[in-house]
Amino acid sequence: MSEDVMFKGSRVGLQLILNETANFDNIREQLKKKLESALNFFSEGTIIKVAANRLTQEQEAELSLLFKRYGITLQAVDFSRQKEISTKQEEIEIEIPGIRETTIINKTVRGGQEIICNGSVVVQGNVNPGAKIIAGGNIDIQGVCRGIVHAGAFGDSNAFVIADHMMAMQIRIAELIARAPDHIEKTKCTERAFIRDEMIVIEPVHRLGAG
Amino acid sequence: MSEVIVITSGKGGVGKTTTTANLGVGLAERGKKVVLIDTDTGLRNLDLLLGLENRIMYDLIDVTEGRVAYKKALVRHKKYDTLYLLPTSQVKDKMAVNEEQLITLCNELRKEFDYILIDCPAGIEQGFKTAIAAADRAIVVTMPEISAVRDADKIIGELGRADKEDIELIVNRIRPQMVRNGDMLDMDDIDEILSIKCIGQVPDDELVVTSTNRGEPVITNHNSLAGQAYRNIVGRICGEEIPFMEFLEDGFLVKLRRVFGW
Repeated sequence: MSEDVMFKGSRVGLQLILNETANFDNIREQLKKKLESALNFFSEGTIIKVAANRLTQEQEAELSLLFKRYGITLQAVDFSRQKEISTKQEEIEIEIPGIRETTIINKTVRGGQEIICNGSVVVQGNVNPGAKIIAGGNIDIQGVCRGIVHAGAFGDSNAFVIADHMMAMQIRIAELIARAPDHIEKTKCTERAFIRDEMIVIEPVHRLGAG
Repeated sequence: MSEVIVITSGKGGVGKTTTTANLGVGLAERGKKVVLIDTDTGLRNLDLLLGLENRIMYDLIDVTEGRVAYKKALVRHKKYDTLYLLPTSQVKDKMAVNEEQLITLCNELRKEFDYILIDCPAGIEQGFKTAIAAADRAIVVTMPEISAVRDADKIIGELGRADKEDIELIVNRIRPQMVRNGDMLDMDDIDEILSIKCIGQVPDDELVVTSTNRGEPVITNHNSLAGQAYRNIVGRICGEEIPFMEFLEDGFLVKLRRVFGW
């Protein structure tokens, strides 16, 4: 079965993308499955936007209700008229980076698991191969990172990724992607990946309070 | 106190069924009352490994659909009085049993048996979900190979999502020479990725194949290193502290061990 629903991070925040041709019953079923599999991973209070012209009002209300059960707010936005949205709304959008909350994950993130957050993510454990962490803010992995990490997923190019052992398959920051070398040795010190001169660079860092 | 243990792996061919058969026989040898449930509906094998195929009258589906009482479907092992098999159907598919039916059945079986071992099908679909539903404890079987370890990792995640927190690991088919040469993942690599408690390291042993074909699990063979490894696992399941064996290829110690059977 092809995927008719997708969650995507964009400049405006988390966005729900629906296949133009799919029928609503399919969309609803697939959404249910997705939400079920991502349970606990969208932090409560997350706002997800959906293009308003894709759904009738009844459909929109039904999906809103479905999302509400998982503590997520669905917001219909007319993307084509985004610029006309009152300045008030834009101010709120700008404020968001300052008040972004941090999600702390206290276990190993295993292959096939995805963590999606508007704010920053701290993982106290390993991120295994095949796991994915997508954060609007920064990502801090206090363990071995072998999965895919995407910091600043909504366009923040000042975001960074820190890991005790940075062996990520891919490091993505804002719109840039860096891939791991084909043969990677276990790193010995904590490293930080960030953007410098339009490139993702990795440098050793010292954690505060660590020896 | 009876316990329901599911044996699972994600990937096929790593030795779930072999492990189930061996642990079942090992527990029965210690005098425990054991029932093995094959949930690999449509692709059943557990009966073959135990040499019980010709004794099957009814199957799991007959029981869950209420056609017969479970006692009628149980097949007693020819050698061990306290070991029973509940085979599954070879004609139906995985949709024929659901979670609730298996939970109800296991709750019935708990009254009679010390250990209920569930042999899980490969994959993470309905068959897997059904098999793990009733389990108190899960044993994940893997092999020192990246695809098997990757799938084990996924399975551990899925078990966690189903609120199964008591998860242990068996690493099967280890080839010591290859590990020493660096051609196979070693235990440290596997431990670091999966980070769950390991209760068994089983060497690759030709005797496993010959005993499988004969329908006599290798655990009863005291000349086999794999058999010894399985006996150790049974001990650990029963709560004993047993150190892991060291695999020394054809050294003096190995020969000595084979002679004395330890």
